[in-house]
Amino acid sequence: MKIRIRKRYLFYVLAFASSIIVAFNSGLDVFTQRDIPNPWALGIACFILAVIISFLITLILSIKYKDKTLGARTVDPSFRGIKLISKKELAPHLLAGLGNAMLTIGYFFLLDIMSGDVSVVLPFSQIVILYLVIIESFNEKNAPTLIEIQSAVIVTFGAILGSIGLQGRIDPLALAIVFLVINPGWVLISIYQRKLKMMKIKDKQNDAINIRLWNATFACLFTLIIVFAYDIINGSNNIIEGLNSTIKYYYWVAIIAVFTFFSFVFYIRALGIGKASVTQAVKASVIIFSIPVSIVLGYIGLADPFTTDPVLLLIKIMGIVLIMLGIISFALTLTKAYIFIKKKPGVSIEKIMNDLWKIKGVDRVTAVAGDYDFIIKIRTRTLVKGYERILTKIEEVPGIKEYKWQSVLKEWEDI
Amino acid sequence: MEPGNSEKAIAEMRKIDNVVKISVVAGEFDIVVRVQVNSLDKLLKVTDKIQMIKGINKTTTQIIEKEITS
Repeated sequence: MKIRIRKRYLFYVLAFASSIIVAFNSGLDVFTQRDIPNPWALGIACFILAVIISFLITLILSIKYKDKTLGARTVDPSFRGIKLISKKELAPHLLAGLGNAMLTIGYFFLLDIMSGDVSVVLPFSQIVILYLVIIESFNEKNAPTLIEIQSAVIVTFGAILGSIGLQGRIDPLALAIVFLVINPGWVLISIYQRKLKMMKIKDKQNDAINIRLWNATFACLFTLIIVFAYDIINGSNNIIEGLNSTIKYYYWVAIIAVFTFFSFVFYIRALGIGKASVTQAVKASVIIFSIPVSIVLGYIGLADPFTTDPVLLLIKIMGIVLIMLGIISFALTLTKAYIFIKKKPGVSIEKIMNDLWKIKGVDRVTAVAGDYDFIIKIRTRTLVKGYERILTKIEEVPGIKEYKWQSVLKEWEDI
Repeated sequence: MEPGNSEKAIAEMRKIDNVVKISVVAGEFDIVVRVQVNSLDKLLKVTDKIQMIKGINKTTTQIIEKEITS
């Protein structure tokens, strides 16, 4: 069978798969932190092995079987083999790589100054969903609708409640790192990896496997430069320690790198389907998936036992309910429609196309030869008022003779 | 579409090469199929295959001349 999965489900399957892997990895992290207690050295080991492992997996996935690569058959249908980046990919790759390095270094710096207990401060990194909503609102075509803002706020607050601890402390420097380093890092990763995934290279859709490979490479480069500068300023020896740890404890870190690779590939594919803010919001489900991992780790004695404090449990349950409500409202409010349009003679096709494209909620404008002149695709989360607005705007476009609205009930797409 | 055949017909359409998107819609039409081909000859083969599916009464083809997308 050629097209395997419905488009709406695919987005959630990818985003949830990515979250489940991240939650599982957070369990494995406990083992690596035990072996490599210095967070800087751990960061370096993670990135060096991420590059090596990403390269090896990409090579394996590039093997062709019956005209198609293994990667295209299993993880991303757009994958056609390992490749160097093209000129137009360089700038987004540099920014996404910088974002990844900022995020990782910010996180390890946080671990360093908070002596490992980041349970109160780190949950605020979920506010990145709102950063993305704000950034998207600057672009009029992508501006979030009321429902999107509402759902994003619900998920963000839920995520903070669901992951916060009661023992840790709030430190202004630590909060500043979360708001000014970690969150902007995530913004760079999601915005620019999305840009890369949406790009067409030689008329073909870009693939998530190569994007991940090159993101790991650029992020590793930036991390080494930043930690090297930090070493020189502080007289520390983190680079050497990191390289030693990479050689000595490669096994755990390499296993994490394998899972991280697939988690990012699924995340990048999801970014290619949904908005960055929505993808990030669905990814907040990692908090729910982390709970069984924490319970198992607590049970086998590798982490503090899972909380039995009724207040904290209540807060967590409230958080989880909010996350689920937010994600469900994202999933159920997305509506799509095709509008088939006929134009009056004597009006420029290009002009009408541009006028239609300016309307918020219009995802695609196609000029066609046949019974109709244009087919436009609407993709929006909105209330009834929103549809009225779209139709009024279409009627206002000069040169439109008649139109037919066809709501999409189900959809399959090869992506 | 003839009523009552849509699920089977969609399953058949999903198997056809060059079909990149299938949308079930409510309105004058029942199904919108997006096809990507590099020649009109291939387009003819796809429309032919679609018309052979049981339950399909009528098809209309619109050829894309230009497209704006995000």
